[in-house]
Parts: sequence; C-alpha cells; structure tokens
Amino acid sequence: MGRFLGLLVALVLGLGALGVLAQEEDDPVKEAEKQKQQLLEQSGGILPSDLYVQQGEELFKAKRGPKQASLEACDFGRGPGRLEGVVGRLPRYFFDTRRVEDLDSRIRTCMIRLQGFRPEEIRRSEVVAIAFYIASLSNEKTMYVRPLLPQEKQLYELGERLFYLRAGPRDMGCASCHVTYVGRRAGVLPYSDLLGDKRVASHWPAFRYSNDQAWTMADRIRACYANLGMPAPDFYSEPIIALTLFMNAQARGARMDLPGFIR
Amino acid sequence: MKGKRFLLWFTLASLLGVALSQQTPFQQRVSQAIQSGGPEFQKSMQQDPDQALCSQYRDKLPAELVPAFLERQRKLIKYPADGRLMGDWKKGEELFTNPRKGNCYACHTGDPREAGAGNMGPGLVGYGARGTSEAVVKYTYDKIYNAWASMPCSLMYRAGYHGILSPEDTAHIVAFLLDPASPVNANLKR
Repeated sequence: MGRFLGLLVALVLGLGALGVLAQEEDDPVKEAEKQKQQLLEQSGGILPSDLYVQQGEELFKAKRGPKQASLEACDFGRGPGRLEGVVGRLPRYFFDTRRVEDLDSRIRTCMIRLQGFRPEEIRRSEVVAIAFYIASLSNEKTMYVRPLLPQEKQLYELGERLFYLRAGPRDMGCASCHVTYVGRRAGVLPYSDLLGDKRVASHWPAFRYSNDQAWTMADRIRACYANLGMPAPDFYSEPIIALTLFMNAQARGARMDLPGFIR
Repeated sequence: MKGKRFLLWFTLASLLGVALSQQTPFQQRVSQAIQSGGPEFQKSMQQDPDQALCSQYRDKLPAELVPAFLERQRKLIKYPADGRLMGDWKKGEELFTNPRKGNCYACHTGDPREAGAGNMGPGLVGYGARGTSEAVVKYTYDKIYNAWASMPCSLMYRAGYHGILSPEDTAHIVAFLLDPASPVNANLKR
C-alpha cells in the first residue's frame, strides 16, 4: 500500500513537472521574464540592454561628425530634442525629408543632416545603440501609431501588401507564420501573433538573450527574410519602413516595454 | 499621309494601353519600394503568377481558379530519369532534416525520436501504414516535389519546383516516409 502511494505521489509530481515544462515552452513571455530576473540577479541589477542605452546616450549627446554637433536637436516628431514617447508614434511622415521614417532611418537622417556624416560612414552598431537610448525614454508609454497623412496611409497599405506577399524559394511571406499558422511551431519556436497580440510590435528595439544580440525591428524583419531563404531588404529601405508601420499600427494602444527583453 | 498619321496615333495609343494595363499606380508603388530594398531583395521578391495569386487571395483561392491552378502546378512536376519514385530512406532522412534541403522536420514529425520537430504540418509518424502501392508512392512523390499541385497555396513550399530537392532527392524522402525499415515506421512493426 505504502509503495503504491509512493508511486502515485511520484507519478503526480512527475506529471506536474511535465505540465510546468510544457507551460514554459508555450509562453515565451513568461520564459523571458524568468530569464530577465535570473540575469538581473547574476549581474547585480544591470541588464545588457542598459549598457546599450548608456552607450547610445553618450553617442547621442557627444559632438561628433564633420559638423562637430550632437544629435540633441534631432526632431523625432515631437519637436527638436523632445524624446519622451516618440517611439510610440513611429514610423511617421517628416516634412523636412518628405518621407515616412522609422526610428532607425530618422537617427540616420539626423546623423547625416546635423552631424554631416556621409551615408556610407554611418555604423549600424551606433544607430542601434542610439535607438536603444531613445527607446528607453519611451518605456511604459503608449503605442499610438495611426496612419493619418496620405503618405502614411499609402505606406501602411504598402506594408500590408508586403506582409501578405508570398515569394522566394520557400513560397512564404510574413503572414504564412504570423497569421495563417500562428499558434503552431516551426521547430521549437512559436510564432508571435502580430495581428492579435499588441505586445508583439511594442517591444522593439529589444535585447535577445538567446544569442546576446541587440536588435531593432529592422534586424527582426531582415532575419525573417533570411529564414525564408530570401536576401534581406537593405537597412533604412522602404520595405522595412512599410512593414514596420503596418506592424506597429497593429500594436496601437499597447503599453510599450522598452528596450524589450526577448528570446 | 493620312495613313502615316493614323499609324502614329495608333502606335501611341497602343503604347499607352500597354503601359496602363501592366501596372496600377499602387502596384508601381509596390515595385518601387521593393526596388529600394536592394537588387538581391528585388530579385527574390519577383513572384511567379501563382505566388501572386496566393498572395492576392491570402491563400484562399476562389473555387473557379482552382482547376487551372492545379493543372499548371501538375505540369511542373519532374520525375527521376530511371522512373523510380522510391529511393534510399537513409539518404531521405538526411534530406528530411537538413535545414538547407527539405527542412521537413521544421513542420512535420518524421522520426518520433526527433525532439525539435515542429507542428505546422501534420505529423508523419507511421506514414508507411498506407503501404507502397504505385498510387501511394506517386501521391507522396508529387506532394513533396510540388505541394501546390494537390493543395493550392498550401504553406508547404514547392521544394522540387524551386530546385531545393532534385527528383532523386524527392524519391529518397518518399522512401524515408514509406519504407518499412525507416524509423518513421518503427511503430508499425509491432
């Protein structure tokens, strides 16, 4: 009898443990939260993304480039030097460049216009760090991307078209995994529900703990194309800005978690 | 003289007609944007007509377009020169799991011991229960070579059509699924 009870207890415990494992696998958000806490405990309260933010702040405020200017006069949509919450309204149309720009391309624009860098001199790692800094000032603010101007509406439609466009040697597009088959897994990884879950597009730029990378939405999009066996669109190009606009608009109303911390 | 002028107007009108029928302004805008992504990206985003249909209808092809779609896709299937549609299951296993080749396990369980298999597609454990009749072998071969020849706009990519799998490679994967000795069918022995 005692042996039977012992077996029963072991079985129940075993099943319980399996259940916990399965749950963790199924909820990447909870798993990321756990990893974040572990990392915070190990490092004494500093996350890798904090280092990018700090580096970005230094780059943002330093007088650099041929014009020896800082980026503090850069207008991200709320006026020169106003940075709080700007990530929640990007991409948006800018009257000075007469194009819709996302966070990355706007940083690049200011490095060219204010600091005098030539486009080929702009280092991607610097743009990412500056993006992390600006994102940190939008943390916990609301996402409110809403295409209003004709240029924004047109680029939104363009992004939607690209999102559903199936091409390449694997006959796929963004929607194949993120809409049509959402909830299923390719390999071990589940796909984020871009149309149904507002948290998905509201945590970029983000630190990816699984491979120690700092990514903006542009890096995410480019890696997705690479996963489909397709050459990625160039950084700062229209396909990236259009897709970002389409996805960010799906997250309207979300409270931003910035910089994000994800697998 | 009158004839010449007529010819000129006719030529101009038909040129305009060609220009207008080719692309709407929005489509032109899409092409421009794709072009701005770089030449390599632009090339890879060029769709064949059926990829364009699947994108346009978001994978739900209207019923009246289905027969012609299937017919076009069937014509794309090529078979091994020796006519053998079932090859070596061991080579098939390597192709099934190789991410650069079939990459099948990303969506389908094959060998039940494979821990990292995805579930985008139906599980294939015990697929060999169907036997190895000519009809089963050919259906399996066609499905792997060109999935759109039986299911329009299916998520499953046309590995043979795109040259990811050669006809011989396809036959090896058929064997991996159907050969009684393959680990896919280990559960059928008992």
